[in-house]
Amino acid sequence: MATQLNQPDGINFNEFERAFNQSLGHCLSSHLQELLKGKKIIFNSEDKNLVPVDGWGIRNIPYCTTPLTTIQPRMDNTTICAIDSSTIQLAETEDGTLYGVKSGVVLSIGAQALIHFKIGPILLYLSEETIGHSQLDHRLAKLILIDSEFAKRLIRIRVERVIQMELSNNFSKSVILIDGSLKSSLFEEKNQSIKNVAENCILKQNSMIGISKSSKLRIIDRVCTPLSKIQGPAYMDVNLIIKSLVRNTVGDNLIAKFGNHNSPILRVDVVSGNSDKDEALGKLLGNDSIACGYPETLRLAHHVSTFSSTETSCLRGHVLTNYDVMELASKDIRKTLLGSITV
Amino acid sequence: MLAMKSDIASKGDYLIIEDEKSKRKMIVQIYDEEYLSSQSLIEDIVKDEVVTASSVENLHDPLNIGNISKIIRDARVFRVKIRASIDLSGKLSSDVTWLPSRVYSNVRRLSIPELDMFIERKGVFPIAIGKARGDDQDFELYAEDLDGRLNIITGKKESGKSHLSKILVKTLVQHGAFVIVFDLNNEYGGLAWNSDGSPSSVHEQIMVLEPGYGLKFSLSYCGKSAMYNMLKNALDMPSASLREFFRIWDYLEKKQTLEVEAFGNAINTWNINELVRDALISRYHVIQSSRLFSNSQDGQGIKFEDVISKEHKGAAIIISMGKSTPIARRMIVELVLSKLIDLLEKMVIPPIFLFAEEAHLYVRDTYWEDIITRMRHFGIYTTFITNQPDAIGDGIYRQVDNIFLFNFTNDTDLDKISKVSLADNETIRSIVRTLPQRYCLSIGKVVCDLPIVVKTAPAEVLTLGETKKFFA
Repeated sequence: MATQLNQPDGINFNEFERAFNQSLGHCLSSHLQELLKGKKIIFNSEDKNLVPVDGWGIRNIPYCTTPLTTIQPRMDNTTICAIDSSTIQLAETEDGTLYGVKSGVVLSIGAQALIHFKIGPILLYLSEETIGHSQLDHRLAKLILIDSEFAKRLIRIRVERVIQMELSNNFSKSVILIDGSLKSSLFEEKNQSIKNVAENCILKQNSMIGISKSSKLRIIDRVCTPLSKIQGPAYMDVNLIIKSLVRNTVGDNLIAKFGNHNSPILRVDVVSGNSDKDEALGKLLGNDSIACGYPETLRLAHHVSTFSSTETSCLRGHVLTNYDVMELASKDIRKTLLGSITV
Repeated sequence: MLAMKSDIASKGDYLIIEDEKSKRKMIVQIYDEEYLSSQSLIEDIVKDEVVTASSVENLHDPLNIGNISKIIRDARVFRVKIRASIDLSGKLSSDVTWLPSRVYSNVRRLSIPELDMFIERKGVFPIAIGKARGDDQDFELYAEDLDGRLNIITGKKESGKSHLSKILVKTLVQHGAFVIVFDLNNEYGGLAWNSDGSPSSVHEQIMVLEPGYGLKFSLSYCGKSAMYNMLKNALDMPSASLREFFRIWDYLEKKQTLEVEAFGNAINTWNINELVRDALISRYHVIQSSRLFSNSQDGQGIKFEDVISKEHKGAAIIISMGKSTPIARRMIVELVLSKLIDLLEKMVIPPIFLFAEEAHLYVRDTYWEDIITRMRHFGIYTTFITNQPDAIGDGIYRQVDNIFLFNFTNDTDLDKISKVSLADNETIRSIVRTLPQRYCLSIGKVVCDLPIVVKTAPAEVLTLGETKKFFA
C-alpha cells in the first residue's frame, strides 16, 4: 500500500530529527541508556500518587542534615478536631457551572471519635453574574469560570476556611487537623485566610496541623530517607527547604511518620500556640488513634465529606425536580471523535 | 419494575400497567422482589454504616439529600411475569407481544375482584376459601371448577393443606355434593362440629366410617370384580391362587354361604396344591383381621348407594384409616374405588368427589395412573393431599387441572413441583418458597390459569388429628 501512496517530495524527516536534537537533544531516547543506567525506578499510574515502599534509598544529599526527632505521645484528653471537604462538578448551563460541596468535621477525645458533623451537600452556581459578588480579582474570576479544577479548589478552600475559623474560635487547647498543607491561597477571602485561622489558634492555645498525603515537591521524597529507616513516630524539620521553594506557608514545615517502620512519610505543617511542635504532635499521637500511619479522625472526616455516587444521583434528581431546568441529551465528545476503543 | 419503599405490593400480586399513549393495558404478576442494587450503592451503604458506627452523626443537610439517598437505598425491583393484556375494547387478550412505555405508563395494583372481572371468572356455587393476599375481600373458588377435575393440594408439613381440604369438603357438601374422604389421621370427623363444640352446619351430612365400626362390606355386595382388584393390587395374590379363590367363591355362592368364615373352612378342605392353600390361608387371615367384611350374606354392611339415596342434600363419607395397617389401608382404598366405579358405571350413584389425604402413603403403584386417567369418565373427581410431591407420578401430574401449593423450602420438592406444575418454573420457585403458613398459590382452572396467592380462612370446624404429646 505504501508504494501506492504519493509521498510529498518536500518533506525531509531527517530535518525533523535535527530540529529535535537541537531543542530536547539530551532527553531523546538515543541518550536514555546512559541517562537511566543504574537508576531506581517506579512506574506511574494515572491519577495515583505512587511512592517507593522503602523510600528512594540512602543518597548523600548535601542539604539533608536535619536531625530526626522522635515524637512522644502525650495522653491528656485533648480534643482533636479534623476537617475535610470535597467538591464535585454537577452540571453545566450555557453560562455557568453547578458545583456540589460537602464537608466533614469529626471530634475525638481519648482516641475515640465522639461526634461527626456532615455538612452538605450544598449546591453552588458559578457564573459571571454570581462570581461578580466575590472579592476575587477579575482575572482570577475569569480563570475560575474557564477551569473547573480552579473553581472546585476555590469552593473547597472557602468552605474549609469558614469551618476552620469557627473551630479555632470556639475551641481552646485543642488540635485542629486539616487535610493538606497550611498555605495561603489566592482563593481565600481576606478576613478568612489561613493566617487568620492560625492567629485564632495561637490566641486560643490551639494547635493546627496540616497533613498532606502527597507532595508535589520531589525533594521531599529525597530527604525523607532517614525517616523511613527509623522505627516509630518521628519527624524532620524541612522548614528551610519548603520555605525556599514555596511562598506563603504558615507554621513549621516538617516531614513526619506517625506509625511504625512501614508507615508512610507525610508532609506536616504545624502551627502551635507556644511554638512547641513536639507538644502539638505528641498531643495528636496521644489523643487520636493512628491507623496505617494516618490519624483516624482525619480519615473519618475524609469519608464523611466525600460524595457517594448515590448522593450525586440524588443531587441530579433534586436539581431536575426543584429548579425547573430542562435536561439536554449529552455525549462524550472524545468518544465520538476517537471511537469506542478505550483511549 | 422499580418500586419505592412506599409502594406496597408483594410476591403474587397483580399489577396493571396502563400505557397512556397506546391506551393499552398489560396485566403482570410479581414473582420476585429484591433491592435495587449496584456495586456503588453497596459501597455507599457500607461506608455510611462504618462512619455512623464510629461516632454520633450530626447532619446539616439543607437540600435534604440524605433522605433522598435513603429512599434510593430502599428502592426495590419487582420481577414480574406478563400474564395478559387488555386490548382497546377492554377485553382480555393473550397478545403480549408488545411492551408498555416506560415513560408514559401508570402502574397500579390490581385487586382480585378487578382481575376476576377481566377474566370473567364467575360461577353459581362459590367456595370461600379465604382472602387473596393484600385484599380484604373474600376469595372464592367455584365448585364448578372442581367438578370433573383432578386436583392436588401439596405443601410441607403443617403448612395448611388439610385445613384447605376441609373447607373444600364442607362447602361441597353444603352445595349438595357427595364426597368420600380417605382420612389417614382421623381428623375429618371434626367437620361435623364447630370449634366451640356445637354441631356444624353439615353435622347431619357427615358420616364417619372405620373398619369394624360402620365400614363393613358383605362379600356379595363387594362382588367378584372389587375382590379381584383388592386381592391382586393390595394383597399381591398370584394368578393361580386367585383362580382357586374364585372357584371357592362360586362354590359358596351356589351354596348361598358366601361369607368370610365359610371361606376359611373351604380353603382348609379344598382339594388344591399345598402352596396355593398356604397363599390363600395367609390372605384369608389378612382379610379377617382387617375387619372390613361382615360375617353374613344378608346384606349386612354399608352400601354406598343407600347412603347417597338417603342424603338428598349431599353428604361426606369419611373413611377413617388412622388405626389401620398399611395393608388394610390399601385394601380399603382398593375396595372402595372398585365398588364406586362399579356403581358409577351402572349409574346407581351420582358423580362423587374423592379426597385422598396423605395420598403418598398409598398412591405408589402405577395402577393408580390408570384409574386416574379413567376416573373422570366414571365420575370420580379426585383431590390428592400430600406433603411428598415426588410420591405422585408424572402421569398423574399431567392429568391435573388444579394445584393448591403451600410452602415448600426443600429444593427437591420445589424441583419436582415446578417441573410438573401448570405455571412457570420461576413463579413456582420464588413464590412458594416464601409463602407463610396457611397461604397457598392456587394454579389451574379454578383461577383461569392465572396463579393467585390466597390466605386460607381460619378453621371454623373442630380440629382433630393433632399430634399426641407427652409434655402437653
